[in-house]
Amino acid sequence: MNYHILKKDELDGFIKKLSKKMKVVAPVAKGTGNFAFQEVKAASEIALQYIPTILPPKKYFMPQREKMLDFDVSGAKPVDKAVVEAEEIAVFGVHTCDLAGIQCLNMVFSERPRDYNYLRRKDKIFLIGLECNDYCDENASCALVSSHIPSGGYDLFFTDLGDRFIIHVNTQKAEELVEGMGLARASHADTAALEKVREHKRSAFKNEVGVDPRKLPEIFAKGVKSKVWEDVGRRCVSCGNCTNVCPSCYCFDMADTINLDMKTGSRNRTWDSCQVETFAAVAGGENFREERSDRQRHRFYRKFKYSVDKFYRFFCTGCGRCTRTCMADISLKETLTSLVKENV
Amino acid sequence: MTEEIKNSNWKLRKGKIIAAKQMTAAEKWFDIQLEDGELDHEPGQFVQVELYGIGEAPISICSSPTKRGSFELTVRAAGRLTDAMHKLDVGDYVGIRGPFGKPFPVKVMVGNDLLFVAGGLGLAPLRSLINYVMDNRKDFGKVDILLGCRTPKDMIFGSEVAKWQERLDVGFHCTVDRTDPDWKGNVGLITTLIPGVTIQPERTFAVVVGPPIMYKFVIAELLKKNIPERHIVLSLERHMKCGMGKCGHCQIDHPKNYYCCKDGPTFTYDEVKEAKKL
Amino acid sequence: MTNVPITATKPKVAFFDFACCEGCQLQVANLGEALLDILGAIDVVEFREVMSEKWDKDYDVVIIEGSITDHHAEERIKKIRARSKVLIAYGACACIGGVNGMKNSFELDEIRQYVYGKDFKLFDSVKTRPIHQVVKVDYFVNGCPIYPPELVEVIKCALRGLPYTVPDNPVCVECKLNENVCMYDKGVSCLGPWTKGGCNSWCTSNGNICYGCRGEVKNPAKNAAAEVIGKYKLNADLIKNKFDMYNKCKEGDINGGK
Repeated sequence: MNYHILKKDELDGFIKKLSKKMKVVAPVAKGTGNFAFQEVKAASEIALQYIPTILPPKKYFMPQREKMLDFDVSGAKPVDKAVVEAEEIAVFGVHTCDLAGIQCLNMVFSERPRDYNYLRRKDKIFLIGLECNDYCDENASCALVSSHIPSGGYDLFFTDLGDRFIIHVNTQKAEELVEGMGLARASHADTAALEKVREHKRSAFKNEVGVDPRKLPEIFAKGVKSKVWEDVGRRCVSCGNCTNVCPSCYCFDMADTINLDMKTGSRNRTWDSCQVETFAAVAGGENFREERSDRQRHRFYRKFKYSVDKFYRFFCTGCGRCTRTCMADISLKETLTSLVKENV
Repeated sequence: MTEEIKNSNWKLRKGKIIAAKQMTAAEKWFDIQLEDGELDHEPGQFVQVELYGIGEAPISICSSPTKRGSFELTVRAAGRLTDAMHKLDVGDYVGIRGPFGKPFPVKVMVGNDLLFVAGGLGLAPLRSLINYVMDNRKDFGKVDILLGCRTPKDMIFGSEVAKWQERLDVGFHCTVDRTDPDWKGNVGLITTLIPGVTIQPERTFAVVVGPPIMYKFVIAELLKKNIPERHIVLSLERHMKCGMGKCGHCQIDHPKNYYCCKDGPTFTYDEVKEAKKL
Repeated sequence: MTNVPITATKPKVAFFDFACCEGCQLQVANLGEALLDILGAIDVVEFREVMSEKWDKDYDVVIIEGSITDHHAEERIKKIRARSKVLIAYGACACIGGVNGMKNSFELDEIRQYVYGKDFKLFDSVKTRPIHQVVKVDYFVNGCPIYPPELVEVIKCALRGLPYTVPDNPVCVECKLNENVCMYDKGVSCLGPWTKGGCNSWCTSNGNICYGCRGEVKNPAKNAAAEVIGKYKLNADLIKNKFDMYNKCKEGDINGGK
């Protein structure tokens, strides 16, 4: 185990040195209790205490809009080139729920046929985690899915020990970086302090829904026709907020644009949402998920049932974003609680 | 910081249209040759067709892999992209990705009797299998083809269908929902043809392709004939946008979480009977 | 590639305005660089705001701003339609009636009297209608004002003979992709959840609420409105009034006006 120490007043120096090597992004306060990952140049810009950002850091791995293909049809035969726009980025301050989200996406896009746009970008991202010593707010359900404790998926991982951070170094690249910056190795006292933080978390973070998570897939299997979905569907706006802010949602749309020369253009990928009306419609007019209740149920099954069958893990990371962002007050915790009550 | 990705799965193969024909008012047929070799598909698969600057659509391959050198598509004008495809002609290029999807279970069907049930444009994907079976006729038992369309004018592959009708090693029945003065055949829904076919259920595979509304009724008739659920093969329609089991559009509401583009589009009825909609 | 028809002669394009503020036509000037490219691809033959020439032959494309509010306008738009191959409804007034539709909240004579005084009968006036409630519309460029990048997309579609589909997702979709702080979190009510996107959340990205200028989505979440109003303790009438500012003419669609 390789731990280093960074004093809090050295964080600014750390960020500045890092930003000489690559673009650094971190959570920044946006007002009214909202935060967003944005480029920073100094530690003072960073919100070290933050609730999950509006959009998760998936936006750096799979941007909201990205170009996949350039084409040119001016000749007798069309010409095209698959492209990716990727830059070296350090993402600082990623909570464990969002690290879990990135781990989910890694699985999806590494599965064949692979998505090289995602994978290329992933190669260029340096991930720096930041531990939540306590709950961000009451909407989180990270203990239910065990994403409140770090389990890999980062280069460096910071835990706040009061006047200093203890940093877990997880990759060779990260080791070279901290060695280059001359960060001191952690002492026994430091690792003991880290253990105290974890001990506190074991009592502070409790399964938020009160159901054995191993039983959830079975409960979902039974709950296909539950009236919970009718209730949620009745309230749903179909605005797509819940999926757009989800760290593990990855559905997308592809569309062409042509330039005004009418000869060159590109194929572009945009985030899409299974919650919007036309998502599952086909050209003939049939819509395979016409009802809001069907669409909401689909969202929950993709988090707690389908993903378990396919990738052996929940695709809910417990970040609570879907609940926070829902204008109609649809709560993930409440929905699960009702479903559990009905189907145990 | 734009880099080229040489091995991207989004790269398009160039397909040249070498023949095209308007089949009905709504359907046009294309014969497409890839500049970099064979498509190398199996019956029941589909391709993504890109019209540069307009977009991409999933289209079933309607030719058998036994036909080499080019592949065929039948396109119904049903939206922005397919409408634009109808304007294409010989010499035009399209972008092609694929083939995608799980083919019909041809190997499992070898040695068995086959009952093909095609409704409307469903004949297009089914034709890739019918022609494959015709070209390997001795590998299969009794073959029956049931065909239904709205009116005689909506019939696709008319001359080819006429040849199937003449074959002695194929039982052929056809019906239209609404007749016209020149039509001398059956009138009525395709389900009315099923009771008349002699079937040995345990050794028969029924392959059914048609609009979603057709499945429920046809399957009910087939089950009445005691054809086992795992011997009823369907090809489902969804909007397969990426073809790679990722974009999410084609996912079927079913406990098994099927992506129609990867786990389908062909399924046996026992695989998908729990789906909310077929 | 022949599916990108490049017309030998440049299409003849004309701009016309009906009841409107002409602000959408002004947006043409705000297109910047794209304007030069567009002007390279089309031939503007009539555009009252910038030129005095008239064109007496048929038009390839007409771009109509404004809504139909009197008999004279109805006759005029029908004549224009008869002379045009492609008609683009341009801006909220043309596409959904826009603010002119507020007139429809009142009895016609009552509002005529209010505006024109005792001689109101001398002034021709009918219920406000968006263009599609009077003649066939081929393309819609929604918004008050229109969102210039969408105009460019529509022009490209029109030049290539392709349909343009107005997005039917709520503005929220784009607003969230732009990572804006939700207006409801800021304590103000916003019509984004029920309004068609396609504007790249232009207003909310710039600190304003959505006023619903692009019209309601096809299947607005009626029940959800009550939930939203409940969660943020809003006044339901206030939201309805905000909607009526742009969307009053929708009643004409519901009653078969399309």
